[in-house]
Amino acid sequence: MPDNIAQLIIPLQLFLPVLFAFGLLLPIPALKRRRVAWGYSAVTSSLSFGMSLFVASQFDWSNPGLQLQAEFVWMPAMGLEFSYGLDGISIWLVLLTTFLMPVVVLGSLIEVDHDMRTFHFWLHILEAALIGTFIATDVMMFYACFEFTLIPLFFLIGLFGHANKLKAAMTFFYYTFTGSVLTMAGVIYVAWRYSQIHDGEWTFNIVKLYSVAEHLSFTEQCWIMGAMLAGFAVKTPMFPFHTWLPLAHTEAPTAGSVDLAGLVLKLGPYGLLRLAIPMAPDAAVAFAPYLGAFACVGIVYAALICWVQSDAKKLVAYSSVSHMGFCIIGLFAFDSENIGASGAMLYMLSHGLATGGLFLCIGMLYDRFETRDLRKLGGLATEMPLFSFFFVLFILASVGLPGLNGFVGEFLTMLGTFNSPDGVLGPAFAIVAATGVVLSAIYLLFLTGKLIWGQEKHPGYSRKYNIIAEHGVDPSHLHGLSRREIATLAPLAVMCVVLGVFPQLVLQSLEGDDGPVATLLGPAKALIEYDEDDDASQEDVIAERPSHQEGLGEGASSVDYGLDAEILELNAEHPLRPATPATSPDGVGSAHSVALTKAGGR
Amino acid sequence: METLLAKLGTLWPEIVLLMGAVSCLATGLNHSPFARRLTPAVAAASMLVAALLVLIIPDDTVHPLGLDGMGWFVKLAVLGVGLLLLALAAGVPDALMQQRRTDAAVTFDAGTSIKGEFYAFFLLSATGAMLTAGATDLVWLFLALELVSLPTYVMIATTRDTAIAQESAIKYFFLGAMSAAVFLYGFALIYGATGFTDFENIRAAVEADGVNPLLIVGVMMSVLGLCFKVAAVPMHVYAADVYQGAATPVTAFLAYVPKVAGFVALMLVLSLVGWPLPTPVLALLAVVAVLTMTLGNLLACVQGNLKRVLAYSSIAQSGYLMLGLIAGPALGADVEAVLTLFGGSRDVSQPIGNGLAAVLFYLPAYGLATIAGFGVLGVLWVDRGENPDPLDDEAQTFDSISGLWHRHPFLAGVLLVSMLSLVGIPPLAGFMGKVLLGSSIVSAPLQTLSYVLLIALVINSAISAAYYLRIIIVAFFGRDAEATHVRPTPLRFAAAAVAAVIAFALGGHLATPVAQSAHEATRHGVVKAPPSELPEPDTAVADAAP
Amino acid sequence: MPATMLTAASPLNALLAAGSPGGFNAWAALGILLLMAVTFGVANLVMTHVLGPSRVGEVKGTTYESGMNPIGNARRRFNVRFFIVAMTFLLFDVEIVFLYPWAATFSQLGLDTGWHTIFLGRMVFFILTTIIAFMYAWRKGVFRYD
Repeated sequence: MPDNIAQLIIPLQLFLPVLFAFGLLLPIPALKRRRVAWGYSAVTSSLSFGMSLFVASQFDWSNPGLQLQAEFVWMPAMGLEFSYGLDGISIWLVLLTTFLMPVVVLGSLIEVDHDMRTFHFWLHILEAALIGTFIATDVMMFYACFEFTLIPLFFLIGLFGHANKLKAAMTFFYYTFTGSVLTMAGVIYVAWRYSQIHDGEWTFNIVKLYSVAEHLSFTEQCWIMGAMLAGFAVKTPMFPFHTWLPLAHTEAPTAGSVDLAGLVLKLGPYGLLRLAIPMAPDAAVAFAPYLGAFACVGIVYAALICWVQSDAKKLVAYSSVSHMGFCIIGLFAFDSENIGASGAMLYMLSHGLATGGLFLCIGMLYDRFETRDLRKLGGLATEMPLFSFFFVLFILASVGLPGLNGFVGEFLTMLGTFNSPDGVLGPAFAIVAATGVVLSAIYLLFLTGKLIWGQEKHPGYSRKYNIIAEHGVDPSHLHGLSRREIATLAPLAVMCVVLGVFPQLVLQSLEGDDGPVATLLGPAKALIEYDEDDDASQEDVIAERPSHQEGLGEGASSVDYGLDAEILELNAEHPLRPATPATSPDGVGSAHSVALTKAGGR
Repeated sequence: METLLAKLGTLWPEIVLLMGAVSCLATGLNHSPFARRLTPAVAAASMLVAALLVLIIPDDTVHPLGLDGMGWFVKLAVLGVGLLLLALAAGVPDALMQQRRTDAAVTFDAGTSIKGEFYAFFLLSATGAMLTAGATDLVWLFLALELVSLPTYVMIATTRDTAIAQESAIKYFFLGAMSAAVFLYGFALIYGATGFTDFENIRAAVEADGVNPLLIVGVMMSVLGLCFKVAAVPMHVYAADVYQGAATPVTAFLAYVPKVAGFVALMLVLSLVGWPLPTPVLALLAVVAVLTMTLGNLLACVQGNLKRVLAYSSIAQSGYLMLGLIAGPALGADVEAVLTLFGGSRDVSQPIGNGLAAVLFYLPAYGLATIAGFGVLGVLWVDRGENPDPLDDEAQTFDSISGLWHRHPFLAGVLLVSMLSLVGIPPLAGFMGKVLLGSSIVSAPLQTLSYVLLIALVINSAISAAYYLRIIIVAFFGRDAEATHVRPTPLRFAAAAVAAVIAFALGGHLATPVAQSAHEATRHGVVKAPPSELPEPDTAVADAAP
Repeated sequence: MPATMLTAASPLNALLAAGSPGGFNAWAALGILLLMAVTFGVANLVMTHVLGPSRVGEVKGTTYESGMNPIGNARRRFNVRFFIVAMTFLLFDVEIVFLYPWAATFSQLGLDTGWHTIFLGRMVFFILTTIIAFMYAWRKGVFRYD
């Protein structure tokens, strides 16, 4: 149970959107009018964002471990808790979620021409599900919210999407559902192993389940990793499993696309970091080269596809596939300073902002001209200068121009990959990924060239736009954007610049020996022997640190993650492990590991 | 003699239902129209009184197979969900009479009215399900199972005036008779192998002599025969035709009550040999489970008729439920005893890991979702245009629910909850049930088989999403079906809505008490685990402890 | 586990226990029984075929070899009422069968045991159900012949 009121603000953050969503369903006739529903939604989502800012103000930024956490007994019979908490990673994702919501609500006024109430109902539900996933510290609650994001998105695409919406909704649901049920199987397996070790006591508390990792044989870990990857790699999406994404993005309404790219995709890497890597560290290290290879192939392959797209939205969708590959290589770099993983988390935020902005821009074009075909559009700079400014800014942020947010994340993931120890990832991966950067510059600037510069051409303004738009007669009013549209894009643009200039804002809550990233990667990194000489060059860049062995020990004991000291104990049998003798703090752990070594033969 | 009287004392709920059935006959055929109109109320009242009696009468009898509270749990599950089914079915005879008569004002004809019989048979079948749960003897079990089935044959045939209803009743009857023969033969072999028909003595004989081949053959034949009641492969073939042919509320009844009785009977029969199951029985059940869920799901994907889709879905759900039977009360009392002997201890207070508890939990969870689904279909009727076939206006095709969301958002919402619960989407009852089933099968000491079955469950959940999703897509995104209308049956509508709401609650805070009582009911199930068969890590932990 | 229960085991069980468990002897009796059954059936068929006289011809194929010609269709429908009458008769006739053993036992019950009341109650309950069934059949028009 919570000790103080401060801990209750997180569930409030979760239930506020649900409350607002059901507020929309109240039998108030006024809510049937689209403007009223839209205004209501804009206000409520802004309130949610304010709430998350308040949460952030309560967050202890100097020590970004798991905090503000509390556990409510939910279903003691099944070991289920309603337990939540925030650390340096999840607080940022919650902030991103609540930040993007008012933005997409603002941007959805014209596109959604029917049933505004239902649209915003599902949007709020989606927000709640996403927040629930990010704050959960119980794996069942995590999974429940993770899975439930499918339903609102399914309806957003199916009810409000474009021509091919049914196929898109179906493919999206089916792909991701299939993946995540396999994840469920993996989670149940881990929980069962916990119950075996702890005399039949079942729990689904994530932190407690971390302690199972050291009792798992390598084969078991591989299966668990495979099961988790089935869910999270599809969601990310990683190269061979990405095919649902372009379809879903293209057919979804703008708000759906922004939420999908900006938030739902982030569930994949987040799940990998939060669940898969700590629960199956051996397998994570062993799988890293293959995952890195797939990610690199994905980066290049999707970039090449982008090059030949004539549909602007599809181009941005494929660029998401390419960009999320950087998250994967960063996450599985396992470099000694956690640069890769920190960079991956930062890159997730940046990608959410920049790609979200691009989708909104393209949505605005579609509102006006009802086309996204690059052959029919061009030279918009003269007619819509302000629009062009924002568009180019988001493009440059996506490309990774230094000074804008995309650059830092991209750079850090590649640096991490480059410094990755032998046998995991390495310079070769970084070089291939760097080709992806070049390619992304090519196709994104190619897109800009077609759309913004060159001969001006575009179809007439659509009837819908003229009827619904707030400035009726003169579409080129205010340099091509209405005040509402400026209010939509400006916050994103500001954040792109802010994160580009002060990446430390985010990084300081991720990095550090006792930071959340180090804690989550700890068990996996304990398996790798780092060559101290290789690190020498980095020590110039980043402040000197104690060697990883001590660092880990300190980190685990000082962070109130509740991470058992046992977790650091090493299984001497494993091939990837250093030959340091296992020292167990209390003897119980060694008894367990002995027992499991025996049992390993079965 | 005293024991018989003592046994009768615990049967008061069933006796009340029987009396209710007779009263329904009396009021349903009464001369006074008022009394006739009262018939469903009489049925509902007798079910309520029976439920009250179940709650009041202390059940302190020691079950011969260790399933102490199972009867209590199942009786409440049958009566509680049965009340919803009754609300769904109320009005079926009246609607039938209206269909038969073109001129509205006709005098009542006792000879052709089914008003009394319908509710009486409804109660009798429910009584059978309750008696199944209380069975302590093979003969009793057989009679109870027949009492479940016999009224349903009549209910199918009489409640819809179409040839297809007659056909499905006949199919159901003959296949039911055949399956009864099969499991009766199985019962006979069990008797032959042990010399007893009552569970207590059979158990004693099995414990003394061990499991002999004849007993195993008997149990396997019983399982195969009971597969008919739960609509599992290889006895599933009737399900689609019968579900399609019966009137929709009756279909909902068929999908729940006989299935509950069947699974309870399976639980009892398997308890005779105890868990871990002997290899042949285990192999049979595993094959049946995997085939049932896979075949059910695959065939459901290719159906064009909603009732057939739900029929195959019901088959597939039986496959999931079989997993709980395979797992058994994995952490039962006897395992606890054995482990204590070796210095280890087991926390057996949590229902998670107990397969029988998972089955008991999943039955109402499945039932509620299915009832909500059939309820929505039952509320709708289709205007068949200029050539109306007044006898068949049921909403059965995908077209008939197309665009339901635009016209009746509330009905569409109920349908959504029902389908999502059947898929197993998180906050709903179906998800909780699948978690319980999955964790019980993974914690059963079956080595690789556990994982194979878990994977089968998971993959089948994914396959099932295809056709449940198709229903949702048609209902929400389809073009508005203008020929579909809503029947003026608020009770039926309410039943579907309440079922959906409970399906929600059963995935939330109702889950704990229900799962806990299901666990209490089955935690002392028959487990015989000689120390050598224990999963190795346990003994290893026990050894390593100082 | 009382020993009496074990001795009460069926003859088949005893048979199984007699031989070596799982050995041939244990199942021999069953096998011989099966063999006899099959042989008897097959032998009868074969012997009929071999020994019996068999002629074919037009006259042989007629319905009545004696020379009578069949009139009308053999598949005539009975009135369904006959079926109901037969059912009702069976129902109430069989009820009587239950009364005989009851009556025979009732006179032998000791007066001091108190079983009288219980036995009487049972029979009253039994007859009550019969009466209800009778009333139901009446109301349904089973006894109306018009």
